[in-house]
Amino acid sequence: MRKTAPVTDPTAPGQRSPALSRRRVLQLGLAAVPAVCGARLLGSGFSPSEATVRAAEPEAAIGTNPAGGATAAAGAAYDPSAHQWAFVMDTTTCIGCGRCVDACKQENHVPTDPKLNRTWVELHVQADEWSVSVSSPAGAEPGTPIDGAAPAVAGPVRNAYFVPRLCMQCENPPCTWVCPVSATYRTEDGVILVDEKRCIGCGYCVIACPYGARYMVPAGDTTPKGVSGIADKCTFCYHRITRGMLPACAEVCPVNARVFGDLNDPTSAVSVALDQKRVRAMKPALGTRPRVYYTGLEGEVD
Amino acid sequence: MAVRVAGRALNPDPRALASGLRRAIDAMPRPLRAWYGILVVLCLVGAVGAALAIPPGWEVLGTSPSFEWGILIAAYVFFAITTSGLCLASSLGTVFGIEMFIPLEKRHAILALFCLVTAFGIIALDLHYPVRMVFGAVLSPSLRSPMWWMGVFYGAYLVFLVIEVASMFTGRWRIHRVACVLSSITAIVAPTTLGAVFGVLASRPYWHGAFTPPAMVSAALLSGTALLGIVFYAVHRFQLAGFERAERLAIPAIRLLLTIILAVTVLVVGWQVAWGLYGDVPGLSTATAAILAGPLALPFWLLRIVLGLAVPLVLLVLPRTRMPGGLAAAAGLAMLGLFADRAIFVFAGQVAPSTAVAGVASAPFAAYAPSPVELAIVVGAVAALALAYTLAERCLPMGEHSGHATGAFLGSASGSDPAASRATKVPSAPAPVTATARPGPVPAPAIPAVAVVSAAPLDDGTGGML
Repeated sequence: MRKTAPVTDPTAPGQRSPALSRRRVLQLGLAAVPAVCGARLLGSGFSPSEATVRAAEPEAAIGTNPAGGATAAAGAAYDPSAHQWAFVMDTTTCIGCGRCVDACKQENHVPTDPKLNRTWVELHVQADEWSVSVSSPAGAEPGTPIDGAAPAVAGPVRNAYFVPRLCMQCENPPCTWVCPVSATYRTEDGVILVDEKRCIGCGYCVIACPYGARYMVPAGDTTPKGVSGIADKCTFCYHRITRGMLPACAEVCPVNARVFGDLNDPTSAVSVALDQKRVRAMKPALGTRPRVYYTGLEGEVD
Repeated sequence: MAVRVAGRALNPDPRALASGLRRAIDAMPRPLRAWYGILVVLCLVGAVGAALAIPPGWEVLGTSPSFEWGILIAAYVFFAITTSGLCLASSLGTVFGIEMFIPLEKRHAILALFCLVTAFGIIALDLHYPVRMVFGAVLSPSLRSPMWWMGVFYGAYLVFLVIEVASMFTGRWRIHRVACVLSSITAIVAPTTLGAVFGVLASRPYWHGAFTPPAMVSAALLSGTALLGIVFYAVHRFQLAGFERAERLAIPAIRLLLTIILAVTVLVVGWQVAWGLYGDVPGLSTATAAILAGPLALPFWLLRIVLGLAVPLVLLVLPRTRMPGGLAAAAGLAMLGLFADRAIFVFAGQVAPSTAVAGVASAPFAAYAPSPVELAIVVGAVAALALAYTLAERCLPMGEHSGHATGAFLGSASGSDPAASRATKVPSAPAPVTATARPGPVPAPAIPAVAVVSAAPLDDGTGGML
């Protein structure tokens, strides 16, 4: 098991958004959480991130959400109706370092198989405006050589950039529509979850997802709750955001390419980004209405 | 205490059963013994595969996140549409009373039941939590999910088929007629919902569209008719129950139906390919390229087009091969082609990656190869179906009855419908079932009431056996 501690680099570029000052303060405050957990679990051998996953339940959420202005007082119950979570991904700043992939794998018990990911980073290489070569060697985990792994592009490269990927948490999600036993569902605050006790492992949602955001947990691995053979996917780190924390991937991004927040809060980082930048969603023609928006995304990604 | 099975008293003592089984095996003709032997061995191969795949044995399957549905899903689709097709083909006789299709009645029902059970068995092995499915479908149904509706209609189809078969062998003709109509209706609806499982997915352009459900029905009719062609060749070849009437009516009927549906399938396949060649629709054009000149090209051109369509059509049309053997060859090849077709269909929808799944380059095609376990399960399923049907043919009275001949869904249930009676030339209404009943008045041509190889001359008690 890898033991990479969440890292946030305050000097990294891209940390000049209006929400940053508040975010910075809260990051410092939250830095105490893993330290406390680590101290408590030192003897048991659990990593802090595992402990966070196993202990967290939405109904026990406390604290302040650094990603959005809407706050929940310490000890108060989390109110899902008060939030609408979203991401704005900045492809112009993503450097493809893969820290997000690594942090997600640790945080959410994602199998070590590089093909199975809740989040991953793609390298898009364009030769002309009509074609793009997409690759994601080992999900862009740290240490993966990009050189040589990217598919060959004929002719001179016109454009190349990284695209962070994860579940789009669609407002109109095909995965929940097709599930025959209602095992996957959309929460009031706009996150698609899987009921691990109900999923039958048919794979229909994996097939139906236009974004390839789902996978089946192999027999040798389990979800954070210890179940295998069911569909798994990004939950925006639901156990964290309902406790006032950032998703693990956003937490560790050194260039703030993953901006997370609450659409209900006009001062949140995502609301500000959506106001100030030109964004687009992936595959808008399918009518899924994703809650993950991209800046600097080329149209050919669809 | 003696147990009666198929009309025969059986001693439940294991030693007596074993010696009885040995005697029965010794008494068998050698080809039949070899046939049983091959089937039992293949069933054992399938059983080993199934044992390995039983949850949580998912790792033995060759599927991956970019290719979640493999050959087990294709086999499920194949058997699910075959069971529907059997019912559709025979409904021409069972529901509409067309004389030449009436001999298909009993055999189609038995086969349809076995095919459906085979399909359910395969899907249970592919699902990771099949028991949850049963409870989940009832306790937390999703009315928006085509898969849920597919379960509803195939579940209903199973119930109707069981009633149809049970009433057929017990002579409850009034119930039987109603069950036939209901099973025929569900035999159309169920494959369309199966098609909708694929057709509603906007993310998979090769599958997406209203064209997919009716195409599934045409595939169903082809596979059902082809399977009946194989079975009725066996009836003719081994002179099984009702073989004379089968030769006179059933084999020409199947040949006609198979020719028509093969011609329809040529159009369906042709337009599917042409559709994919227009423009450069992402996903659809990739799938078409994979079919025509990519990883699916060999099964498509060899199995689907040449062996599955062209050769069977030639065999059916050429005067020299217009004989039961030619029909059997055409039907067998058509079934092979259809299995390839359903596998190509399932694979082509996934061959264009919806995204660059981590670690996998998006170009050009997503890869999948069936694992040995998956292939073993498919082979075992086919063998189990063949074994079950052979046993049924040997143990059950497969001779015809006049339940439909006089019945008339289009007329009265009492069998007094003049049109139906005229069409089938069977004068009497269904008579009560009696264990000792003998065939009643036999209309020309006289055909033995029970199978030549059948050891249990149970009468269906219609009083009008042919």
